[in-house]
Amino acid sequence: MLRSVDHGGAGPRTGLSAGSYLLVQAGEYVCALPLRSVRRVLRALTVHPLPGATAELKGLAEFGGEPLPILDLARLVGAPPGANPTYPVTIVAWVGPEDGRELIGLAADAALEVADVSLASVVAGDGGFILGEAPVGEQVVRVLNLEALGQER
Amino acid sequence: MVGSTLGTAGSGKGGYLLMRHGGALWGVENAAVVSLTRGGEGGGRFLVAVGAGEPAGELGIDLWIDEIVGVVAELAVRPLTAALRRFWPEAAGGLAVHAEMPLVVVDPRRPPRALRGALPDAGGDVGRVGRDGDGEGAHRNA
Repeated sequence: MLRSVDHGGAGPRTGLSAGSYLLVQAGEYVCALPLRSVRRVLRALTVHPLPGATAELKGLAEFGGEPLPILDLARLVGAPPGANPTYPVTIVAWVGPEDGRELIGLAADAALEVADVSLASVVAGDGGFILGEAPVGEQVVRVLNLEALGQER
Repeated sequence: MVGSTLGTAGSGKGGYLLMRHGGALWGVENAAVVSLTRGGEGGGRFLVAVGAGEPAGELGIDLWIDEIVGVVAELAVRPLTAALRRFWPEAAGGLAVHAEMPLVVVDPRRPPRALRGALPDAGGDVGRVGRDGDGEGAHRNA
């Protein structure tokens, strides 16, 4: 179990490999989040529902004294629900374009590991939030484009 | 959340009224509160009429609230972000945190639909604090 990834407050780092991804369990899917966009991984934050929100938005949480929208990663990627997670996490991540990025929380079932993903191996994506699928070891992961998440539809 | 502070309610406006509804915490500038009415007996709900700049005695927009939490002198209000607006298509004055609880600051001109809910039970009003002198001028809860 990956217990803590903290990239501090300075935003995405450039020293990491462009192909480094944090693998997280979201329902029955494994998703790959660009490590440069991950600010922190925490035990699941307490979420307060927001009436009127779509199903993907679990609600609001408090993080570092600031309000933080929490999105349900499994719903975002359309994953079938998995077993009850034993160590659910909130991944605090930067989303949106570089010149307008913002922090959100992604509720996931578990943080798994950091792995390198070759972008050349990514196939069958929607060109938006779900960049596509790629093999990592013996599993197929959904590679996510967090920049696309911070934009209004 | 990354974003600039829109303002604090300590700036001469008398703070914010904090309310709970639908499991969420909400805030509205005290200056925008036209009246506050306890709802039907046993309903445990409140009617808060809000308005932005209406002349005294004008009706506000009714908000139905489960619980009045209290008043705070100021809040550090952050703008809604694009990611939040994408999944919560409502207008609001911003977001803030009070006592480690995130809250939505209501725009009194465009309150979210979740607060503009059903009419109360027929129990009637049992106590009202208004800004219009006699406490009845803004009353429209027949």
